[in-house]
Amino acid sequence: MTVDLESFSRAYEQWVAESEADYRSGNMSEIVKRYPFVMAEDVPWTPYRGRPSDQTFALLTSGGLYLKDCQPPFDTASIHGDSSFREIPRTVRPHELGIAHAHYDHSLAEQDINVVFPIQRFIELENDRAIGGLAESHYSFSYVNDVRGLVTKAVPELLARIKTAGVDVLFLVPV
Amino acid sequence: MVEASGIPTISMGNDAERMAKIKPPRALLVKFARGSMLGEPGHVERQRRILRDALKALRTMQVPGTIQELPYRWKRPD
Repeated sequence: MTVDLESFSRAYEQWVAESEADYRSGNMSEIVKRYPFVMAEDVPWTPYRGRPSDQTFALLTSGGLYLKDCQPPFDTASIHGDSSFREIPRTVRPHELGIAHAHYDHSLAEQDINVVFPIQRFIELENDRAIGGLAESHYSFSYVNDVRGLVTKAVPELLARIKTAGVDVLFLVPV
Repeated sequence: MVEASGIPTISMGNDAERMAKIKPPRALLVKFARGSMLGEPGHVERQRRILRDALKALRTMQVPGTIQELPYRWKRPD
């Protein structure tokens, strides 16, 4: 899928100008209605081949997770959101994770991080040999409206990392 | 961009309208609230079931843009 960043930029800048006041007052449903979604003409697709039991999986959530002790939280104030991502090791303990995302209720994920980042369930799948392996590193984005940073920087960087790690399949949990 | 680079994905989703815009390549649609896409906190068996559904979907979904609705309901036995 190619993203036409020029036409997105024009629509996005206009959206920001029209949406700042609603964003500041927390009127999220209005700004979502106006948001210039990048509509995919064709569905991006790589055929799935092989068997999960032979393959390496990685997780990607947009739940705004970060390591409290050693990573900065995401920017939760800007209307643009934050297009960076955080790498989370498979060995993470739930209490080591913070959530920086201003636009969903964290209370359920705080009770059990697996509802947005099912790392413990994937470790079980690996133990059960239902998957070949779970990658060492997993990833979180947060709330983001300005997708230009995703397209030009963050996603290519993330792809380079998961390819180096030999990841075969990415499991996505959008929030 | 991930699929275009040669890595297949499977995605969770809970908003059919939004998914129609974003067009995930393969997706499982659940009736759970935003912020708890795998169901109730602590419901380990439900979470396992959903991930098993995802592994199966990888192998069975042959058409780009397939969305499979899962039958699970909040606080209702499977």
